[in-house]
Amino acid sequence: MYTAIVFLPLLGFLIAGAFGRSLGPRPSELVTTSLLVISAILSWIAFIHVGLGEAPASTPVLGAWINSGALNIEWALRIDTLTVVMLVVVTSVSCLVHLYSIGYMHEDPSRPRFFAYLSLFTFAMLMLVTADNLVQMFFGWEGVGLASYLLIGFWYEKPSACAAAIKAFVVNRVGDFGFALGIFLVFALTGSVAFDTIFAAAPGLAGKQIHIFGMNADAMTVTCLLLFMGAMGKSAQFLLHTWLPDAMEGPTPVSALIHAATMVTAGVFMVARLSPLFEQAPVALTFVTIVGATTAFFAATIGLVQNDIKRVIAYSTCSQLGYMFVALGVGGYSLGIFHLFTHAFFKALLFLGAGSVIHAMHHEQDMRKMGGLRKDIPFTFAMMTIGTLALTGFPFTAGYYSKDAIIEAAYATSLHSGAGVYAFLLTVIAAGFTSFYSWRLVFMTFFGERHVAHDDRGHAAHAHDDHGHGHDHAPHESPLVMLIPLALLGFGALFAGLVFSSSFIGHGYEEFWKKALYSGPGNHILYAMHEIPEAVGYVPFVMMAGGFLLALYVYVIAPGTAKRIADANPLLYRFLLNKWYFDELYDLIFVRPAFWLGRLFWKGGDGRIIDGLGPDGISARVIDVTNRVVRLQTGYLYHYAFAMLIGVAALISWYLVGGVR
Amino acid sequence: MNVAAVFFYLFSAIMLASAFMVIAAKNPVHSVLFLILAFVNASGLFLLMGAEFLAMILVVVYVGAVAVLFLFVVMMLDVDFAELKQGFLQYLPLGSVIGIVVAIELLLVMVGFTQSDAALGAGASPIQANVSNTEALGLVLYTKYVYLFQASGLVLLTAMIGAIVLTLRHKPDVKRQVIADQNARTRADAIEIKKAPSRAGV
Amino acid sequence: MTPISFALAHSLPEVVLAVGALALLMLGVFRARDGRDWIISECAIAVLGLAFLLLFVGAGPKVVVFDGAFIDDAYGRYMKGLALIGSIVTLLLSLDYMRREKIDLFEFPVLVILATLGMLMLISAQTLISLYLGLELMSLALYVIAAFHRDNVRASEAGLKYFALGALSSGMLLYGASLLYGFAGTVSLQGIAAAINGKANIGVIFGLVFMLAGLSFKMSVVPFHMWTPDVYEGAPTPVTAFFASAAKMAAVAITMRLVVTAFPGVTDQWRQILIFVSILSMALGAFAAIGQTNIKRLMAYSSIGHMGFALVGLAAGTEQGVQGVLVYLSIYLTMTLGTFAAILSMRVGDVYVEKISDLAGLSRTNGTMALFLSAMMLSLAGIPPLAGFFAKWYVFNAAIQAHLYPLAVIGVLMSVVACFYYLRIVKVIYFDEPAPGFERASPAVTAVLIVASLLVVFFSFWPGPLDVAAAAAAKSLF
Repeated sequence: MYTAIVFLPLLGFLIAGAFGRSLGPRPSELVTTSLLVISAILSWIAFIHVGLGEAPASTPVLGAWINSGALNIEWALRIDTLTVVMLVVVTSVSCLVHLYSIGYMHEDPSRPRFFAYLSLFTFAMLMLVTADNLVQMFFGWEGVGLASYLLIGFWYEKPSACAAAIKAFVVNRVGDFGFALGIFLVFALTGSVAFDTIFAAAPGLAGKQIHIFGMNADAMTVTCLLLFMGAMGKSAQFLLHTWLPDAMEGPTPVSALIHAATMVTAGVFMVARLSPLFEQAPVALTFVTIVGATTAFFAATIGLVQNDIKRVIAYSTCSQLGYMFVALGVGGYSLGIFHLFTHAFFKALLFLGAGSVIHAMHHEQDMRKMGGLRKDIPFTFAMMTIGTLALTGFPFTAGYYSKDAIIEAAYATSLHSGAGVYAFLLTVIAAGFTSFYSWRLVFMTFFGERHVAHDDRGHAAHAHDDHGHGHDHAPHESPLVMLIPLALLGFGALFAGLVFSSSFIGHGYEEFWKKALYSGPGNHILYAMHEIPEAVGYVPFVMMAGGFLLALYVYVIAPGTAKRIADANPLLYRFLLNKWYFDELYDLIFVRPAFWLGRLFWKGGDGRIIDGLGPDGISARVIDVTNRVVRLQTGYLYHYAFAMLIGVAALISWYLVGGVR
Repeated sequence: MNVAAVFFYLFSAIMLASAFMVIAAKNPVHSVLFLILAFVNASGLFLLMGAEFLAMILVVVYVGAVAVLFLFVVMMLDVDFAELKQGFLQYLPLGSVIGIVVAIELLLVMVGFTQSDAALGAGASPIQANVSNTEALGLVLYTKYVYLFQASGLVLLTAMIGAIVLTLRHKPDVKRQVIADQNARTRADAIEIKKAPSRAGV
Repeated sequence: MTPISFALAHSLPEVVLAVGALALLMLGVFRARDGRDWIISECAIAVLGLAFLLLFVGAGPKVVVFDGAFIDDAYGRYMKGLALIGSIVTLLLSLDYMRREKIDLFEFPVLVILATLGMLMLISAQTLISLYLGLELMSLALYVIAAFHRDNVRASEAGLKYFALGALSSGMLLYGASLLYGFAGTVSLQGIAAAINGKANIGVIFGLVFMLAGLSFKMSVVPFHMWTPDVYEGAPTPVTAFFASAAKMAAVAITMRLVVTAFPGVTDQWRQILIFVSILSMALGAFAAIGQTNIKRLMAYSSIGHMGFALVGLAAGTEQGVQGVLVYLSIYLTMTLGTFAAILSMRVGDVYVEKISDLAGLSRTNGTMALFLSAMMLSLAGIPPLAGFFAKWYVFNAAIQAHLYPLAVIGVLMSVVACFYYLRIVKVIYFDEPAPGFERASPAVTAVLIVASLLVVFFSFWPGPLDVAAAAAAKSLF
């Protein structure tokens, strides 16, 4: 069954990828989607068996992969609660996104390719979450990176899409570099890459020193920091986050699947999976906390002022990932995973809802051009509201359980750690911001005046879009095939927290996780977070309500306030609008020098020195020699005979002069 | 110095000189004649060694057959050797330098040449006294040297096939002698008897 | 003295070839109409095939028969196998060609058999006399078939040049042989080795130089190679294939046997000669081929270069080196025959073309042949994982084991230069504007090309048998 879960998407990819063109779009869609549905159903069954039921964790081995000296790697599926949670998330969201895409992409000529990529991504992601060793995880890790690259650049005619795809790939390389180094270090320390062996060896390695860069460092800290570097890249954490907003160039279902629900959470999953290692490295955990908190805050601030509907959600994702890392950093691995789980539902919902809005608006993404859409697309409006409620943590929605728990855990940690204080403050503030920008999005999109352009420019753009809806330029509700996934996700966003919170982070913890996650003996975060002052528990709610009211005032009650505030603080506004100038900074620090250096090596080093002296120079000499040698072949018999005589004469002279030795 | 030694040096000297003249002579017919002279002297050397049979064979085959055939060929073909020797002077300096170097080196070898101990012992393999030269050859030709003898035969066969393949041409309009046809002719188809009227003129 | 039947039992392939040649000659003379081939070629292939099969009969420890003139050992059988494969494939390739060129005389297969017989005798030669007779038998037949297209000026010129220079080289060989005989008082190779006894006399060295000069001519290594390009270009293409394959096998085989058997104690002396000719050959093969436009001429330089590479292994002078040469020759044989099969597929209308530019855009007119020919070229260039790479690897490895580092380095450098012209052909095949397409080649030619390509491409998956056989053969030589 587990094998089927993982490999059905691969089958779908192969069918749609190899035969998509001859099958035609519709069969490709049906094949990949139905395979994914089967996979998702099986995943839920597995979840019930392993997570809720009593089925033991297992590790079916598929075969040997690499056997080289001490390095023995097998293809194996590690099935435990953590895996099945991820399986459920990945396959559910993926199958809903497949379904949704049938409607969303129905005008695109290369749908087989799209669905093939989606299935490929799903397969890679499943390989990642079922990995039983670091190398297999790395395989999935790179596989999702590849699929992400392909899907971001799906509309490769658009230069911006290509640029975004390249950017995502390159920034991820930075993280992967760290991840790979981390794997090497783990292998160097434990002599294995299999999880069981590593985890067994981890406690013994605590406090071990290694010598790098001329100084001694704690081995586990270095390892975990390197591994976390990979997670930072994949999960778009502070400093390596710049690719995620740009990745919105891809089709919206892709954003929902990859850049909200699944791939970006791979970093969170990885840290949770490697919790036995991270538990041995408190310094690294503190670092994780700080990075997570910083990201949560920083992304939220940017989200406040963005106007592109997808970018707002993208920064929101970034921010929520920060929350997850805060949870991991303070030792609440199950908290992080729980937030991952709930977040997958409501963030996918928001993205797909946004997709529905965009669909309705004929591929218009700028919120300033929307407004008053709630009457045109009421169902989407309802779903978006549910998503927003869940995201902001409205009581009893999914986000309420998971996000508030994280803030509480951060408070619990702050009692004995500076990083905890930092994390608590930033996450609380970010919660307010989250509420503000989420409601801002809803208000700008669904309330207020209709801004839909009915001028000639709009028509021109429309015609250019080759949209195919000749009958009506007004916003229209999406087809049923797109609304069903919205409804299902909406259901999840409302109830996932309520249903599962006890299992994930509450009293059912032990029975549910069954040692899939590891907590050190001194780690009592789950108990500590329940024993905080009651007032602290209300703080997130207050922040949420405050954000909501502020957004209500600024965008509904007194429209125009936003512009006044922005005009009053131009510096701050531009700073936020330009995303803290990170892109410009990186451009200045990395991109330009790299280009300069590249050009130097290319023109000067390679072109002039290596080519000039090497290939070109040598080949020119070779031609010279050839011309001379060929001239020796005169065709005259006596020349030939003479050459033979000279040869013999040379040889015997050599012996006479050199003497016989 | 006994008589044998005198003749040895005589034959050798004439042979070397005539061999040189073979390549030096301007007239190709002279060259062939010098070649014959060299063969004759070589057979003289064989005689000195007591190999009468080889000496005679040399005279009969090489002088009598091969060289004479050569002579015919050279006389029948109108080869302008002067033309072939063009460029000879052009390469003479370099050629002579190489030639002289090789010659000197070969002389040095001759000076420094030694024989192995085994060779000194096995230098002569005397023929038994009561066996004639021809008989001695016959004794080993099909026994000890059967392989080499057969191989030589194959070499000659190949040479013959080669000569035929490369030169024999079946020209359709050339009249050929067919012995069988000749023998099969009868008087009836060879001769036609016509009655010629007398005193009628033609 | 052993009974003649014993000797014949150990020279069965030779006996079969000799009898077969005579029988086919008779058959041709009396039965073939107008001197046309009739079925002589097919019969000749059968005779050669029978001889090849007989190589596997009665193999055992080395036996010397015919009063020390002839040796039957694993080394000889290995090399004879290669030579026979070369001959058989040559005849397969010639079937269609000779008929189209209207030179399908029955003497051709007979001469090929006789030449092959000469090669076999040469390979098994154990005295200077049997060596010379084998060499002459082979050479005479080769002279004739080089000029077989006697109405073609270029072919006649090629044959004449080959004959004249071959006579010169035979003279050198005989001069060297006489010096050796004069020193050792025996013509037996082992007797010479015993007489030398590790001490190199100047006369012996000169004899060695002259003998190797004569053999170098047959191997066509620099500076005794000058005939090669002209003859390869002028001779009929199947004959060129014969020269490049079977004839080379025999020449290298006897060179190895001569130096290993007769001069074991003076390895340092002959090694210098071999290094000299090897380096020159590799260099000339690499540089001169670049300027060629005729593919047969190019293959001539290619073969010169490859002989240089093969001699690198021999220069090592060790058993491992000899094994390397054997592997090298086997792979070289496959590649050469495959390449010539491809060249013989180059027919536009009724004319066989041989310009490299005729191959332009072959990938579009005949994709399969383009693929196979490219595989051959890449293998000749020595690009892994094709067989040609392993061939080079064996000999260079042997040279390094023998501490001949400069030689190995020069060899690698020259193989890099040589890559140029092989890759250029691949480039012409795949990237140039298409020339007129070729006619369908005969089944035999296509089969040879396919089999050779498969062997070359998949050698790396199953190199074991060749390695083992070559090792056993090399062991029996020492």
